Amino acid sequence: MASNISGNAYALTILSPIKNSFTDDEVSYADTVRDRLQSWNSEPNSPMALVPQTYLCRYFVLDDVYTESLPGASAIDTLIDLLPFVPDSLRRCYWPKEDHLNSSYLVFSCNFHCGPNADLDGYLRNMWNTISDKIKEVWGFCHGFDGVDNADKFIDYMKKCQFEATLFFVGSNDDPLEEQLKALYLKQEFSKFAVSNQGLDTATLRANFKGFIQRVAPANLTAPTWTAGGYRIDKLVKRG
Amino acid sequence: MTKKLDLLDIQGNVIRAYGRFGYPVARYVCLNVRDGAKGREFVGSISKKVTTAVEWGDGPGKMKQPDWTINISFTYQGLKDLGVPTSSLIGFSPEFVSGMKARRDILGDDGPSSPQHWDPIWQRNRETRENDVHILVSINALAGQGLDWLKTAEKNRDQAYKWFQGEVDKTKGGVVILDGHLGDNGEQFKYQDAKIVLDNGKPTSKEHFGYTDGISDPVFEGVPYDENRVKGRGKQIPGGKWAPLATGEFLLGHVDEAMEYPPSPEPVLLSRNGTYMVYRKLHENVATFDRYLEEQGSKFPGGKELLAAKFVGRWRDNGAPLVKAPDAESKAKYDAQFAAADEQGKDDLLSDFTYDDDMSGGKCPFSSHIRRINPRASLEMIHEEAGFTPLGAFLSLFLPPSWLGMFKKAGDKPGSLKVSKGAFNTPGALSDRRRLLRRGLPYGEVKDRTRDDGNHGIIIMMVNADINRQFEFVQQQWINYGNDFKAGNDKEIILGNHSLDDKFPSKAVLQVDPNSDQAPFLLSDIPRLVETRGGEYFFIPSITALHMIARGVVDPT
Repeated sequence: MASNISGNAYALTILSPIKNSFTDDEVSYADTVRDRLQSWNSEPNSPMALVPQTYLCRYFVLDDVYTESLPGASAIDTLIDLLPFVPDSLRRCYWPKEDHLNSSYLVFSCNFHCGPNADLDGYLRNMWNTISDKIKEVWGFCHGFDGVDNADKFIDYMKKCQFEATLFFVGSNDDPLEEQLKALYLKQEFSKFAVSNQGLDTATLRANFKGFIQRVAPANLTAPTWTAGGYRIDKLVKRG
Repeated sequence: MTKKLDLLDIQGNVIRAYGRFGYPVARYVCLNVRDGAKGREFVGSISKKVTTAVEWGDGPGKMKQPDWTINISFTYQGLKDLGVPTSSLIGFSPEFVSGMKARRDILGDDGPSSPQHWDPIWQRNRETRENDVHILVSINALAGQGLDWLKTAEKNRDQAYKWFQGEVDKTKGGVVILDGHLGDNGEQFKYQDAKIVLDNGKPTSKEHFGYTDGISDPVFEGVPYDENRVKGRGKQIPGGKWAPLATGEFLLGHVDEAMEYPPSPEPVLLSRNGTYMVYRKLHENVATFDRYLEEQGSKFPGGKELLAAKFVGRWRDNGAPLVKAPDAESKAKYDAQFAAADEQGKDDLLSDFTYDDDMSGGKCPFSSHIRRINPRASLEMIHEEAGFTPLGAFLSLFLPPSWLGMFKKAGDKPGSLKVSKGAFNTPGALSDRRRLLRRGLPYGEVKDRTRDDGNHGIIIMMVNADINRQFEFVQQQWINYGNDFKAGNDKEIILGNHSLDDKFPSKAVLQVDPNSDQAPFLLSDIPRLVETRGGEYFFIPSITALHMIARGVVDPT
């Protein structure tokens, strides 16, 4: 099993190089992409809430790799340091080079439910079918995206940009999203049930529980349940 | 060598909760500096009388216990207007710079606790320069002997206040006392008075809900007169022992629990032996508390007084911890032991306990006050799920599960938690950096227990080296949220900013012994019992720093 798959959960990492160019009003493509991504924060909800089976995801623009410090010394470096006749210029050429990116990158890191067959294509197809406008809004500035105008081309493009990394978020198991949302809904409703039925006699409790089960319909994953991407407690529950 | 603090350099209110040393009365005064030079002169004259943390005693070479104490602290605006240079000011923590009002979202000061309901002095603070609170002066007064104990204390306080007022007058308007502390009938006072709660004229150590307050105040390294109080107040170390907390958790310029110096402003002389203080005026809704306790107590299997104890983790009458006295029967035994014990024995009975035998919260609930404020080692808990043993897990790769019955483990019962051994260096790893010294006294009198309004509550002053890591974390994560206690979004029962929305009422779970056949008790629709009426973040400088501020010679270069 590939390392970016854990059970039925998939960790997708996409690195798409952004073209080194600028718009008509002289804003670099990289800044434009970042600006568009940041504008999603002011929308009522993330467009990714519409993409089925998305557990969690993150977009950002990577301008360059981060240099933490000069590389640590190896045994040979230490030896060279101790030998006074090694000229400084020679010593410096043996220092590892600093790495830099040739362009900024759009990074998309996403965890989703892929099922037992690790269905990446299906996820990306749904993503294109639900939010292709938003996809074009940001990926339109990336190398190689020209001509991507249908789901198949999008899948091919994304696979070219895929980087196999095991970036899993904690806080989700690998069940389908509907199962997880329903489970959270049931947990919330059950604690309310427990509070409102505390101390009742067995017969009443049993009758009330029957009513409760009918109302919350544990087997029905579509309703009532929590809405995907919900973040306000008063807007969370989707009624049947 | 044991660490010894320079007690003559540290302000007395950092180390001492004055109430415990015979000072039942206090007065807090807020000042605005109108003229920097005159303000510095004023700080200089106050600093001559500022009470230090020195040991008191009679006889030659000893410092006599004073009839009144005076301590002084500053807000960020105050330090700025007193001329502390920018290069020093930038070293103070962001939350201190922003002030309590700006941090209200983090603190959960919403609804009736939001700043528009604060006392006028705190509402006006940080709105206009003339109304900013710059300096807080606190006066505590010693009680007398005999029947006149309280009158003597009030006389001492008045004497101190008179002297203090004289010093303010000398500035000729350079420093002014701000009014706007609300009194009993809505009138605005130039000071906030505080006093222990009386029971038929006799002193108690209780607050207005009837609980004994301030028992488990942290003990840290270097305080000579706290050596016998470490058990239950210091940090839990392996082997069921206790040690004093690192000094740097409560004083700047000293090493803290992470073996680091806490972030502090430059120069060292400005910050060392100084610390931050959180001042909060908390109103207590006594009628709502009584009504809620009555209503839930009638349903609670253990009765009303046990339920009251479950709210806090201690019984109301003598402060007996639930961990030691979880029910009426054990409480009777505890009481007998308590009555027979000497002072030290009493103190141990109150304070020397752990949650090691109550990891599931069956005795002391996860949402009770003392467990939330000071979880001791109780956050290092795990729940073991049913499943295979390690060998069984390996074999299950090759063999059908039905063959592996003998390699299965039952797991813990639902709701059962135990100490996670070996996961942390020390039992208190998750709580040792979240401790708070608690100072302050109740204020006001409850004249009519059937009403919430009126003027009664607690002036609480919490001292810590890092407001964000200590006070704000405890307030946000442990009081107003429950995840660290595996309690979801349940809040601390007494202090939590309980929901005002009927559709999403606050609840708390009172756990039971997972091996018993009892059901947990669910507290529902918990009302807001305590409301914030104001407050601010202050810096308590050392005596050295006070002198430097007064002389205008703070210089970090």
